[in-house]
Amino acid sequence: MEVTLKIRRSPDGASHTTETYTVDVAETATLLDALDAVKDKRDGTLAYRKSCRMAVCGSCGMRMDGGAVLACKTAMKPLVEQGHVPVISPMGNLPVIKDLVVDMEPFWAKIRAVKPFLQTEEHPDKEHLVEMPVQNANIGKEALCIMCGCCVSECNSMESDPDFLGPAALAKAQRFVGDQRESDDDRRARLKDLNGAHGIWECTRCYFCNQRCPKGVDPRDAIAKLGAQSFRFGSGSEFGAKTNMFAPVGTIVEPGVAHAQVFVDSTHRGGFLDETQLVPKTIGPLAAALDVPFALRLARAGKVPNPLHKHKAKNNDEVKRLWKLLERQAREHDQLGTNHPSLIDSHD
Amino acid sequence: MLRHDVVVVGAGLAGMRAAIEAKRAGADVAIVSKLHPTRSHSGSAEGGINAALGNASEDSPEIHTFDTVKGSDYLGDQDAIEIMCTEAPGDIYELEHMGAVFSRFADGRIAQRPFGAAGSPRTVYSADITGHVLIHVLYEQLVKYEVPVYEEFFAIDLAIDGGRCVGVLAWDIVGGGVHGISAHNTILATGGVGRMYYGTTNAYACTGDGMSMAWRAGVPLKDMEFMQFHPTTLKSNGVLITEGCRGEGGYLRNASGERFMAEAAPNAMELASRDVVARAESKEIEEGRGVDGCVLLDLTHLGAKKIHARLPGSRELAMDYAGVDPILEPIPVRPGAHYHMGGVDADVDGRTLMPGLYAAGECACVSVHGANRLGGNSLMETITFGRRAGSHAGHDAIEHRNGGLVADSAVRDVDARVRAIFARSSGQRPWQVREELATVMYDYAGIFRTQERLEHCLGTIGELRERGTSVVVDDSGDRFNTDLLSVFELESMLEMADCLVTGALARQESRGAHTRLDFRERDDERWMKHTLAWCDGGKVRLDYKPVTITRFEPMARSY
Repeated sequence: MEVTLKIRRSPDGASHTTETYTVDVAETATLLDALDAVKDKRDGTLAYRKSCRMAVCGSCGMRMDGGAVLACKTAMKPLVEQGHVPVISPMGNLPVIKDLVVDMEPFWAKIRAVKPFLQTEEHPDKEHLVEMPVQNANIGKEALCIMCGCCVSECNSMESDPDFLGPAALAKAQRFVGDQRESDDDRRARLKDLNGAHGIWECTRCYFCNQRCPKGVDPRDAIAKLGAQSFRFGSGSEFGAKTNMFAPVGTIVEPGVAHAQVFVDSTHRGGFLDETQLVPKTIGPLAAALDVPFALRLARAGKVPNPLHKHKAKNNDEVKRLWKLLERQAREHDQLGTNHPSLIDSHD
Repeated sequence: MLRHDVVVVGAGLAGMRAAIEAKRAGADVAIVSKLHPTRSHSGSAEGGINAALGNASEDSPEIHTFDTVKGSDYLGDQDAIEIMCTEAPGDIYELEHMGAVFSRFADGRIAQRPFGAAGSPRTVYSADITGHVLIHVLYEQLVKYEVPVYEEFFAIDLAIDGGRCVGVLAWDIVGGGVHGISAHNTILATGGVGRMYYGTTNAYACTGDGMSMAWRAGVPLKDMEFMQFHPTTLKSNGVLITEGCRGEGGYLRNASGERFMAEAAPNAMELASRDVVARAESKEIEEGRGVDGCVLLDLTHLGAKKIHARLPGSRELAMDYAGVDPILEPIPVRPGAHYHMGGVDADVDGRTLMPGLYAAGECACVSVHGANRLGGNSLMETITFGRRAGSHAGHDAIEHRNGGLVADSAVRDVDARVRAIFARSSGQRPWQVREELATVMYDYAGIFRTQERLEHCLGTIGELRERGTSVVVDDSGDRFNTDLLSVFELESMLEMADCLVTGALARQESRGAHTRLDFRERDDERWMKHTLAWCDGGKVRLDYKPVTITRFEPMARSY
């Protein structure tokens, strides 16, 4: 079949043009096969990475029509049938080296930053015994990650803060936080780091990473697990509010857990978020005081609810029942060993 | 000048395991690799890694050794096999402590599944993505040990000084330019050369670069004629469907639904040795009992639950590349070039005949696989012999540390070669020669070989080697020039194909994966010996050396 591609060409990574190529490929061809045909038969200067062509090496991440894909996992036939001509460009959030090749070093630097290795002793003479619940459906999806960078390419938070650890590194971090072979002390130390600047609370929950991951890792879910574990180990004091309360003015403190805790407490009380409490309880009263001029500007623009009129749910009992349900589900989840290291369910 | 005690070329499982062990020995070690480590082809391994843990049923290193010796059709060196099978359990425990996530039995112990030609369920696995799990674990250790990696550096040649290997000459893919990287000891761990075949499970990167560098430098390659054809690969792109599918109970059927393995291996059936299964499949297809050039791998009776739990990766691959959901219908499969038993002649510590040069993993031939490798033994080989090579090279470098330096003139020579390629103006494009090579290899040096077919193949290779020296590139820039790399990769594949076919033509017997229709029996009297292929002025010269037999006398082999 005949495939037409528009490819963003950039010989030096700086300037770029878009070129159109038409090639003949097999019906079963993937985007990678089509690129190979372009390189072999049209223009040998085209640059892209490839190796396994079976969606496991993670080399061929790139964008098609503005969204990240693995070229070797993207069939061309549906596009040809629709008469669609896709635009192929390099991944986002990473510097371009040439054509579809990006510099992955910033990506790997973040992977290295999360201490991506198990903290156990070496030279064992036998295996760890791992307690293994039989029914364990969502075990260690994080271990499926092939480090292709598709999630990072689409990460909205990283676009605004290039130093954000990002979905891939945080999924890697969860792979260890969730590993029962590590001690609670190791886990606490990891969580403390991840609660720092550019850590888990910078995620805007846009879910583009989940949507674009070609391997079903669901990085956003991993970040949510890290948040939940931070509550469990931080108890709101180690990473959260109480430290912040007395933090000197101007100190940068990560408000993550404290911020989330306000939501919890507030909805527990009245079924609604009490927004007037949000800022002071998250960043501390002193820091909040400095934000008063900003709050007044917001009030003038009609963006602040009346602090004297508290929101309260009409049927707060129902909210409380919902909370009980959530708490019970969380307990069951823990008992099932959600954070179990094994990525497969057990052998019978 | 870049300089280290030990330089490892290649960053798959063998290369990374070697680097970690050299580092543990106290050496300053670095890796040179044309791919980022986790992109290496080891990550595509699916079914598992063999060690006699005895977690599934009674097992021992002795039984593992015997199965491997028999599987090798008695061409494997029994001392090396015994070392691997004895050290395998410790290596598995260590991988597990490093962080490998293996599948478990309900009581928490590491699970083991049955694999072809194994006397007991011996294959340790992580669902059907074992290679993926292991490559990431070793990369994690590389980060932990802070081993530097010259990432996306393409090694073009070994640097030799007075008969000793003193490092490598490599092209910086991202920025361009030739660099000499000096080392007291150099370890080749560059993997196989499956890409010389049209139908192959191998990644695009598997082009035999390390083997050809060694061969050109005068180091002999061993048993190059033995290429394993995996019985279950997809027709569209050669992607591997793991032997684990049959280990979990999958059937092979022909067009009329018969389980044809009943004839070739009435006892082991689908779990006979790979050479036996691949031959039986080829016979079905050639005699007209196939389906569109394939046979059928039937998993439908295993049920959705088992497929989801144990074979999720295979299901994904079948759906992506064959348009088939194995829960509902059988997968069309055919044999494809998978694993090269041959490689750089190396001893049990990875040492080659050249001082300063080691080899480990698929690019080496120790030999533990002989004429036919058992499924699950190659991952084990990368770990055990990667570790041993790294340990020996590391300790040796610290003790002696007298290694030479890569000469500036050698860097200039390689740079001149690159510039000469850029300057060529008339000739074929590399892909044209590569496609011809891959087709002639699959058609004439595949599963069933004859003198006539091999002679035809060798003639074509000679002509292609000629044409290969004048292929032209479109891209003559220094920046990320994969067009240039394809010229060097082509050169390697052509040389390795020459070694393979020359060895195959000479070996007048059928043994393991080498099947001669004109010499159908194994001939221990004449051919119980390793082939050595030397480079003699660019041509292949054959020589032979004895097989090490310790405990198991050769017997007839049936499954």
